[in-house]
Amino acid sequence: MVVATPSVFDADLSSFDAGLSHFARFGLPPTCDLSHDLVDDAYLELSRRFHPDRFVGRDARSQRLALQHSSAINEGYNVLRDRVRRAEYLVKLAGIDLDSNDRSRGAPVPDQRLLVEMIGRREELEECASRGMKALAEMQRTVEARADALLDEACAEFERDEVKNAARALVEHRYLRRLLDEIEAACT
Amino acid sequence: MSNPKISVADSGALMQIGEPERIKTPSREPGFGIGIDLGTTHSLVAIAPMGAAPRVLLDGEGDPLLPSVVSYAGPVPVIGKLAQLDRLAHPTAVIASVKRFMGRSGEDIGFRHPYTLSRERDEKIARFDVGQIRSRTPVEVSADILRVLRSRAVRELGSEPTGAVITVPAYFDDAQRQATKDAGKLAGLRVFRLLAEPTAAALAYGLDTGSQGYFGIYDLGGGTFDVSILRLRDGVFQVLATGGDSALGGDDFDRALVAQLLDVAQIEDPTPEQLQELEMRARAAKEALTDAEDVAITVESCGLRDHRVTRSGLNELITPLVRRSMAACRKVLKDAKLAARELQGIVLVGGSTRVPLVRELVEETFRRSPLADIDPDRVVAHGAAISADLLSGSERDGVALLDVVPLSLGLETMGGIVEKIIPRNSTIPISARQVFTNYSEKQTGMTLHIVQGERELADDCRGLARLELSGIPQLPPSMARVEVTFQLDADALLTVTARELMTGRKQSVEVKPTYGLGEDEIDRLISESMECAQEDFDARDRAESRVELGRVVLAVRTAIEEVGNLDGLLSAAERGRIGTELESAEVLMSLAGAARSSELHTARERLESVSAKFAQRRMERALNAGMGGKTLAEIEQVLAADEVNLDQKRGGHEAERID
Repeated sequence: MVVATPSVFDADLSSFDAGLSHFARFGLPPTCDLSHDLVDDAYLELSRRFHPDRFVGRDARSQRLALQHSSAINEGYNVLRDRVRRAEYLVKLAGIDLDSNDRSRGAPVPDQRLLVEMIGRREELEECASRGMKALAEMQRTVEARADALLDEACAEFERDEVKNAARALVEHRYLRRLLDEIEAACT
Repeated sequence: MSNPKISVADSGALMQIGEPERIKTPSREPGFGIGIDLGTTHSLVAIAPMGAAPRVLLDGEGDPLLPSVVSYAGPVPVIGKLAQLDRLAHPTAVIASVKRFMGRSGEDIGFRHPYTLSRERDEKIARFDVGQIRSRTPVEVSADILRVLRSRAVRELGSEPTGAVITVPAYFDDAQRQATKDAGKLAGLRVFRLLAEPTAAALAYGLDTGSQGYFGIYDLGGGTFDVSILRLRDGVFQVLATGGDSALGGDDFDRALVAQLLDVAQIEDPTPEQLQELEMRARAAKEALTDAEDVAITVESCGLRDHRVTRSGLNELITPLVRRSMAACRKVLKDAKLAARELQGIVLVGGSTRVPLVRELVEETFRRSPLADIDPDRVVAHGAAISADLLSGSERDGVALLDVVPLSLGLETMGGIVEKIIPRNSTIPISARQVFTNYSEKQTGMTLHIVQGERELADDCRGLARLELSGIPQLPPSMARVEVTFQLDADALLTVTARELMTGRKQSVEVKPTYGLGEDEIDRLISESMECAQEDFDARDRAESRVELGRVVLAVRTAIEEVGNLDGLLSAAERGRIGTELESAEVLMSLAGAARSSELHTARERLESVSAKFAQRRMERALNAGMGGKTLAEIEQVLAADEVNLDQKRGGHEAERID
């Protein structure tokens, strides 16, 4: 799904639109699969254009606008360059905010299957930790692979306009990320 | 979502809370910005006007490095090489490596030093007791160094600089940065920006070589260590990650050696004199061991004679310290999500990277030999000058510097846990928001405790500010919502805004850590220093005479050492006469403030006249050696021209080389 978004590359400092999506700000299509290079190229170009250092001698309004633009550009870069945050952001733009507990617009409540699976994985972690580093490393690899597959699944669902399914996969991905942090902690 | 900690008492507030200042419209004049590398050991000033290549400004003797040493032995501070001469005679009045004290309280200083820290007036700041009932803060000492550099720039530019970029270790926290900024202000400089040292180095290196790709900057100075990973691409300098230790440097190598020497000399509780001499000898030995395999150290005050230290012995002492820096390197690579092999090069910055063990371990960690085509002493000042030129309003097309915040910023929440709002290594400017809720219906206020650091508990981080938010509507738990926004601008200045979402009530604070030295005191110091400039004219005159005498003494001593033994240059009788004058001059010097200006002038004139013939012979010899094959007339012409110079230079004992 490639949607043409209005480019801001020829925009000047005249105004700042806080409501612009990161994709629109970067002139990139709102899609899961963006190459690193595309995001980087857009980021460098925008930074060069709007960095506050370029406006040091200018009036207060220009400086404030440069600050707003640059802050939004840096925030957008943090989201767009990271595949997970990008996917979560896309789902948010489509109406589901994973950071919210709201029943209708918030993260989907995890189903019974996921919770049971997670209990099983935690038990596995304890067992691996007692068996040593090698077992931990193996578990880490397995969980990472599962997380990667979930992210692919979330993106595929999103491209099919199945936003709810995409959100569900991303919620599970969050659970696995937390588990990976715990594995990492057990390794040290 | 979490609940901010409620605190009623606001004791220990480190902050001045006020309305954030509006962004001023500054008057900037392109080409009149200066770049300053305010180093632990040396300081430099450089300019790069209107897009020109950067160059470091020299002192009257052609030296770019100003030793960061200030002597308060006399009534007026003496800075640099001459201050070093006072170290043994006035060990507690000569402050070296002041950078390690910036933004720190007496309690923060955990290493051995020869100074007397007075902490009577308050606890938050270290003050050096420099004798004669005077104390100096690290900010004042740094300002004295900055004044010398400022006047160097004034001489070069023909007018006051419109502003300065001062470099700081990337890993300096906000208190250390604020102290540096205040020192600039106190020295009469408008500080455009504090620039991270490794970023400055990358800017200079990248623009000079036109390099592209990922680079590591390993910066080990006298007192601080930084490592940064940058991406250089089409004029954009993007810092990906930075890390380090603001209390690790060459001084620690010296201290390790000092500790060993104290052991050998069986001294448990050294006097300030002993410590100053030990530090000087240890540093000289460390520097000599860069080329030599072993050196002999003599420390008169400790009764040590020709104590032998080998390079491998030194390596053993400093290995744990250097390893510490390597751990930071691995962490920063991880933060940048890069493997060592993905880097195009590793740039060494800072005098301590001359230590062979450092080079070895850098090579081992980054799996490549470091780039050797830069001057590790000058590159930071060069970068600062380029940045100052940009910020003075010069057009340098397409160059942009994307720097990061080195330490995470967050809020203390219930239980003293830190909630990170802006994680470390975020590119600035950046803003971030977080919503907090009330925990009970009775809660009508919130205290936001803003902290900096990587630790999980607020107590282990550095507190920056407290913001009181009152008038929260009485609502059931979790229903009152306060949105907190952190805004970091391109100068890494933090503004925190809290807004209660139901009523829209808003409170804002510009976070300025005061590290114990308040705005009032800074202002008082500034006006005092201006008054002193008027009233203390006599003292200044004395100090200047002393400086001039010191310069001549130094020059004559150097000349005697270098060529005094050559045939026909210096007779025994002449050497004796010069020696007598040198001695009486040095006695006068050691009296510091007690010597009158006229006495100092007389001593200088006598020394000059008694050594004039020697200086002349030496000059002729130098010229003859340098101009073999020229006719006599040509040489006389040059000599005549040189004599004019000679008069100007007073004494004329510049260190010409005789090959």
